[in-house]
Amino acid sequence: MIQEKVRFQPFSSEPIRLIDEQGRWIAPFEHGLPPDRLQRFYRDMLAARLLDEKLVILIRTGKTSFIAPHAGHEAAQVGIAHALRKGHDWLFPYYRDMGLVLALGVPLVEIFGQTLGNAADPAKGRQMPSHPGSKALNVFTVCSAIASHIPPATGAALSMKLRRTGQVAVCTFGDGATSEGDWHAGINFAAVGRAPAVFVCENNRYAISVNISKQTASENIAIKAQAYGMPGYYVDGLDVLASYFVMQEAIERARAGQGPSLVELVVHRFGAHSSADDDSRYRSREELAAERQQDPLLRYQRFLEQQGLWDAQWANELRLEISKALEAALQEALQAGEPDPLEMFDDVYAARPWHLEEQRRLVAEELQS
Amino acid sequence: MPTMTLIQAINAALDEEMNRDERVMLLGEDVGKRGGVFLATEGLQQKYGPDRVMDTPLSEAAIIGAAVGLAAHGMRPVAEIQFADYVFPGIDQLFSQAAKLRYRSGGQFSAPMVVRMPTGGGVKGGHHHSQSPEAHFAHTAGLKVIVVSTPYDAKGLLKAAIRNDDPVVFMEPKRLYRAVKEEVPADDFLLPIGKAAVRREGRDITLVSYGGPMVETLKAAEEMAAAGLDPEVIDLRTVMPWDKETVLASVAKTGRLLMISEAPRTASIASEVTATVSEELFDQLLAPPLRVTGFDTPYPLAQDKLYMPTVTRILAAAKRLLDY
Repeated sequence: MIQEKVRFQPFSSEPIRLIDEQGRWIAPFEHGLPPDRLQRFYRDMLAARLLDEKLVILIRTGKTSFIAPHAGHEAAQVGIAHALRKGHDWLFPYYRDMGLVLALGVPLVEIFGQTLGNAADPAKGRQMPSHPGSKALNVFTVCSAIASHIPPATGAALSMKLRRTGQVAVCTFGDGATSEGDWHAGINFAAVGRAPAVFVCENNRYAISVNISKQTASENIAIKAQAYGMPGYYVDGLDVLASYFVMQEAIERARAGQGPSLVELVVHRFGAHSSADDDSRYRSREELAAERQQDPLLRYQRFLEQQGLWDAQWANELRLEISKALEAALQEALQAGEPDPLEMFDDVYAARPWHLEEQRRLVAEELQS
Repeated sequence: MPTMTLIQAINAALDEEMNRDERVMLLGEDVGKRGGVFLATEGLQQKYGPDRVMDTPLSEAAIIGAAVGLAAHGMRPVAEIQFADYVFPGIDQLFSQAAKLRYRSGGQFSAPMVVRMPTGGGVKGGHHHSQSPEAHFAHTAGLKVIVVSTPYDAKGLLKAAIRNDDPVVFMEPKRLYRAVKEEVPADDFLLPIGKAAVRREGRDITLVSYGGPMVETLKAAEEMAAAGLDPEVIDLRTVMPWDKETVLASVAKTGRLLMISEAPRTASIASEVTATVSEELFDQLLAPPLRVTGFDTPYPLAQDKLYMPTVTRILAAAKRLLDY
């Protein structure tokens, strides 16, 4: 697809924003999106928020061992998901992307299966929760090692280019990832190889407890792109349509053979880093309360209201419908049961070598005794 | 049948596989125009173009990491690391990504790729051009590890590694690159990964080695034979998964095991093989299995020849076993 026009300038000093805090459309162009599409963004953001709330319940009731809350990231994640060609482009997500993979179409049962680490998990309960993946949707299974998925995203994008598949690799990460060597290695190689990739920083300004001021002396993350020879877009990630339109432009630019981009979506992290973290140790409740006033759902709700596309009754019905779907999927996942313990020895290699056969036999005997 | 050096056999294997399957591609530092610092990829960029023989930035993390993504997306990448000593900046990619991708995704994704690297000492390279880090790889579940010692094996095993569905670390003892020539079939042949080769049949003692020290091991065996002894010599060829069956069958016959490797001694492949033999053949052994290895020091420049297993040390250890 040839791009119609370039809407956004890289390296802006202020974040790119299309909807202001009062919900007013402030862009110099028409969004051109039909009402049902506009409502779909809201629906997906609400589903992401309600999923996050459900995951918090699962951790509090001891049904799961870990979560990495994504509340505050919904606009960014839904914007990314809508800009991708689902099931065609590849996504290389990180561990705070449950809202993103949900919006991309990963089934809720799989999401809960992964969260429970049981037989409903397509990855057979092998990884911590918040590490989804889906071959069917080209979602590259999350790896805990920060920024380690960035060189693989570059490699996949190079394959897309070599084989002219018309696909794009979109790779997300947090602000802490930008300090890792693998981040540099992957982004540099992508730029040199003009790989069809878009690298997306969901910048919530905290790497667990470490503030962005201790992470980088750069003015922002987007500006780092300049040194690599690619455009960097500094975007208000609490604005779902800004996230969507910038991502779409970067993705289609990559698809058209014009190389990779870096997109920084500035978001808030409403929760702690994870269920194993107590964020009151390092950020004030006042700061958090102020951030919560800038809820991305609320801003988009105001925008929809002004378009006549949102009212409380519609939103309540939507909330009820999503909650029901979440609960039904959770119950289905809970029924799946534990994975077969002997699956521990599968998928290490394409076929089990002798030493794994021996070790598997040992466990099988122990289980029978 | 053409005669080839080990490096020529590597080149022939890469050429044939690229010719056979257009998904096969090479990437690494200097592999393109330069043809690799050891000339393993000489002439291949001219033949297959810069997209399939790709010069990369000087970054092992980028090379190995990009290979993971290329492989996951359907290519068959062969990455070259210029020296095994320089794999370490790419270790997170090899260990966290390549080795675990199939496992962590429950078999949804995989990384069928080869990471080639010159390994071992003997070229006056000091400690960053001489190490033998195969134990690190063997200790990481999900990787297969091959260390070749002959041109024939290099061709047959590299072709098999490229067609294998798992990530394979393919180690080439640099001191053997041009040390010997042998006949290597010009046609397509594969050798099985995980299968050792019995280089010499014998009844008195089993010498097991792989890679560079196969040279000293075979020399020691010749000297022993000249002295009227009858040693059996096994070349492991693959160190993960290693060929337990062949080693146990041999030691069951001879009752004596000497394991020779130039990697540091502690927690090594040699440790693994001798421990396994002790566990499984304890009542058939005539003497405790012994190891002749490199030392637990960084690799020294001045003592290059002394660091690697010498014929003298191998013979001394064999004598201990035979005199036990």
